[in-house]
Amino acid sequence: MSATPSFAANHGPAIELRDVHKSFGTTKIINGVSLAIPAGERHAIIGPNGAGKSTLFNLVSGRYEVSSGRILLNGEDITGLKPYQINRKRLSRSFQVTNIFHNLSVYENIRCAELWSAGYRYSFWHRVGALKDVQQRAEEVMERIGLAKRRDVPAGTLTYAEQRALEIGITIAGGSNVILLDEPTSGMSRTETARAVELIRQVTEGRTLIMVEHDMGVVFNLADRISVLVYGEVIATGAPEEIRANPAVQEAYLGALHKEDDAGAQPAGDAAHA
Amino acid sequence: MEFFLIQTLNGISYGLLLFMLSSGLTLVFSLMGVLNFAHASFYMLGAYFAYQVSTKIGFWPALVLAPMLVGLIGMAVERWGLRTVHRYGHVAELLFTFGLAYLIEEAVHLVWGRIAVEYRVPPELDGPLFTIYTSQYPIYRGFMMLVAVAMLVSIWLALTRTRIGLVIQAALTHPQTVEALGHNVPRVFMLVFGGGAALAGLAGVIGGNAFVTEPGMAAAVGPIIFVIVVVGGMGSLAGAFVASLLIGCLQTFAVALDWSFAALFARFGYTVTSETPLAALWNIGLSQAAPVLPYVLMVLLLIFRPRGLMGTREG
Amino acid sequence: MKYRPLNLGRWLIWGATALVFLVAPLALRQAFALTMMTQMGAFIIFALSYNMLLGQGGMLSFGHAVYSGLGAYITVHVLNLVSKGTFSVPVSLLPLVGGLAGLVFGVLFGYVTTKKAGTTFALISLGIGEMVYACVLMFPDFFGGEAGVSTNRVVGEPFLGITFGPAIQVYYLVAFWCFASMAAMFALTQTPLGRMANAVRDNPERAEFVGYNTQHVRFLQLTLSAFFAGVSGALSCINFEIVSAENVSAIRSGGVLLATFIGGVPFFFGPIIGAVVFIFFVVALSGFTKAWLLYLGLFFVAMVLYAPGGIASLILLQLPVIRARRFREMLVPYALALAAGLVALAGLIGMVEMVYRLSEQGASTVLGVLGFAFDARTAPPWIAFGLVLAAGLASLRYAARFALARWNAIQHDLLARQP
Repeated sequence: MSATPSFAANHGPAIELRDVHKSFGTTKIINGVSLAIPAGERHAIIGPNGAGKSTLFNLVSGRYEVSSGRILLNGEDITGLKPYQINRKRLSRSFQVTNIFHNLSVYENIRCAELWSAGYRYSFWHRVGALKDVQQRAEEVMERIGLAKRRDVPAGTLTYAEQRALEIGITIAGGSNVILLDEPTSGMSRTETARAVELIRQVTEGRTLIMVEHDMGVVFNLADRISVLVYGEVIATGAPEEIRANPAVQEAYLGALHKEDDAGAQPAGDAAHA
Repeated sequence: MEFFLIQTLNGISYGLLLFMLSSGLTLVFSLMGVLNFAHASFYMLGAYFAYQVSTKIGFWPALVLAPMLVGLIGMAVERWGLRTVHRYGHVAELLFTFGLAYLIEEAVHLVWGRIAVEYRVPPELDGPLFTIYTSQYPIYRGFMMLVAVAMLVSIWLALTRTRIGLVIQAALTHPQTVEALGHNVPRVFMLVFGGGAALAGLAGVIGGNAFVTEPGMAAAVGPIIFVIVVVGGMGSLAGAFVASLLIGCLQTFAVALDWSFAALFARFGYTVTSETPLAALWNIGLSQAAPVLPYVLMVLLLIFRPRGLMGTREG
Repeated sequence: MKYRPLNLGRWLIWGATALVFLVAPLALRQAFALTMMTQMGAFIIFALSYNMLLGQGGMLSFGHAVYSGLGAYITVHVLNLVSKGTFSVPVSLLPLVGGLAGLVFGVLFGYVTTKKAGTTFALISLGIGEMVYACVLMFPDFFGGEAGVSTNRVVGEPFLGITFGPAIQVYYLVAFWCFASMAAMFALTQTPLGRMANAVRDNPERAEFVGYNTQHVRFLQLTLSAFFAGVSGALSCINFEIVSAENVSAIRSGGVLLATFIGGVPFFFGPIIGAVVFIFFVVALSGFTKAWLLYLGLFFVAMVLYAPGGIASLILLQLPVIRARRFREMLVPYALALAAGLVALAGLIGMVEMVYRLSEQGASTVLGVLGFAFDARTAPPWIAFGLVLAAGLASLRYAARFALARWNAIQHDLLARQP
């Protein structure tokens, strides 16, 4: 199965959010977000801590249910669907806090992410070692994320950066054409980040990418467009230069833009909560 | 009418006893994340200790001493057992308490033998409290309800009004922060677990002589408590309360009634004979089916409302 | 600590296992050894099926005997019908009947129980187990009440002279099904379902995000596990020629849990070891002392506290040391720890046995050991055994520390040698 999205079927946006609201009890986290991300675009969502970025991901990927509003994937309404149902419609996400299968080896982690899309489902009559197609794809992914040498190592014993790479690997393994990456470079050093950016650029070629990031270097490097989320609302959407120049964004979030952090730490303009 | 009233009172007193047990279990589960499989065993120990103390000294000292002893045992279990297993995860904790339940039962066999012991209601509490129509309602049942309610009120007060209670509530969600503030969280957990054990022990003191004190009592009431916790919703005290009363009344009424499907069919003119398919099923009387009812309730709830009566989402 | 995958030839291991099954009755000729091995064979299948749930699927069940017991009940009724001539099913294929029965009940109960996971699943399984046990007692027509349903396994025409009357023939029947089931369950671990069961065990949330409905994975794993449990129940029925409420009891469910855990949950072959050890405890030890359940319980709790990976983990941990040819350095520490442990055990056994003498009505309070008689009512034996126990525990602590220090030194060297 190729990774290129089927443009023939749907010319609309890959992901569309229509007036999405989310409250936990009386606390409103997402306050009317509407967003349309065309297929093949690399889109970044930035904003201060607590703005609701991870919550937005959780809503799109089915981990949480919306309080109101609709979410569409390739034109199809996926509001209220369970995570596995959404994943089967070719949407994958990574997690900010590494969420891997810690007792399985690197190879097995990737393979598990391949099995459903390869069509093997709940089969208990295929010998998984004999499935050449799955093996090949898994090895390709391991090559790309640079973990081919650590094939048989239990995932729980990998280094932090290796686990983050595996996290991305699991996300791209199923051949999904909409990829959500939640702070993929958090906790990485400069060199590790640069490597991760290259990896992300390669694996999302021809696919739709939505990325939550704090590292502005990564964001301006990768993103085609950026949305700024503050207190559960999108205050601006547009190309990187537009966002940079947008005064509301500057005031709310970027603050003194000249400071570029390399470790993803919060810029001084965190006084946005004023 | 008389029957209904008496059975309701009985059901409520039994339900309150069940709530004494399930509330301790729920509290420990909420506060420490560990489900104590040996909770019913602490109940049993409470009954046996009360038996020993009441035959040597008296019932009223037993009411104080036995729960204390059980509480001490609970603290020791936490300090030297649970704390070691904690790092292996929840399954290991559950298995440890499972093994503990096993051991306690065997220890009870060892010390007190396999047949029931004569743990009696003290003479000053033995007698009628009031008379409804023609039936007498025993004092002891009233005493049980009193103790249960007093215990629950004092727990509620302790948790919400005292400092240690506030610390416990905080340690529930933020143990590291509480520790950083200078509180000894492991000691808090030890106290909580010991407290839970003491509560179970107290339930044993007042339940052991109302019902029977024998080595199988833990295995008899344990599963019911777990069903209550599942039906009420894991971690919900209110749910445990409702479920306890529900199941308490359900079992009490069922044991006293002799309804059956066959009788119901007969009302509509259909007689169930030995040739009818599943005849055995239709002929079952409600009193015979009483032991099964809590589990049937659990299964039904799982099918139609898996999170329990008042459960929040599974943590 | 890392468990490296064994690189020994798979064929070698399976071949050797088959050989052991074939040759065992010839090596151990006592009658009780044969019945014990037959029981072990059936219990191995039961324990392996249990580990499909726990070790592979991450589902702790307190009611697994439901599937083996109900499988046994169906089998016993089919066998009785075969005797009457209603059906014709060869006795050697009865385990399949048991398996199918287990499968059906697995589908039935599994649907309800797999709706929740973790601790809740464990409690639900307990509830279902109690429910089935209570139902079994409620319908004596089908289930035979307390006494159970008995049968005769010698039915139909002998096939090549095999009637399954003699114990040795039953042994080989059980051995065959045990080997076949072991191979089948192992094969299942190598399938997509088996792998996803592991994934669901490790991280059920992530499994959902790679496209799998975790509830469905658990449900399928449970039904397959119930199939094999049913096979084990059928073999039990054939062996004992009686099925009673005990077959679905919480005691039996607890037993298979204990056995599997003692053997080693994280490893495929762990339950095999656990089943052998457990049956040995039950059959051999129960003849010696009334307190055998207590000792078994203590052993189990000790394993939970100090060796949660079971006997299998203890064995596997030694392998890298053996391969590096440094095992002989551990011989002395191990021997010392073993000696200290035995001393402590002697003290414990003495005290436990004395308590039993005291509490049992009408039993003699005199305990005879090595020709000496100790009266449990007097103080000296208590003091003596108490001192022995204390001394044993104290020296065990030192020996354990010594062994651990040695062990850590070796591990340090091994790690340093790795690339």
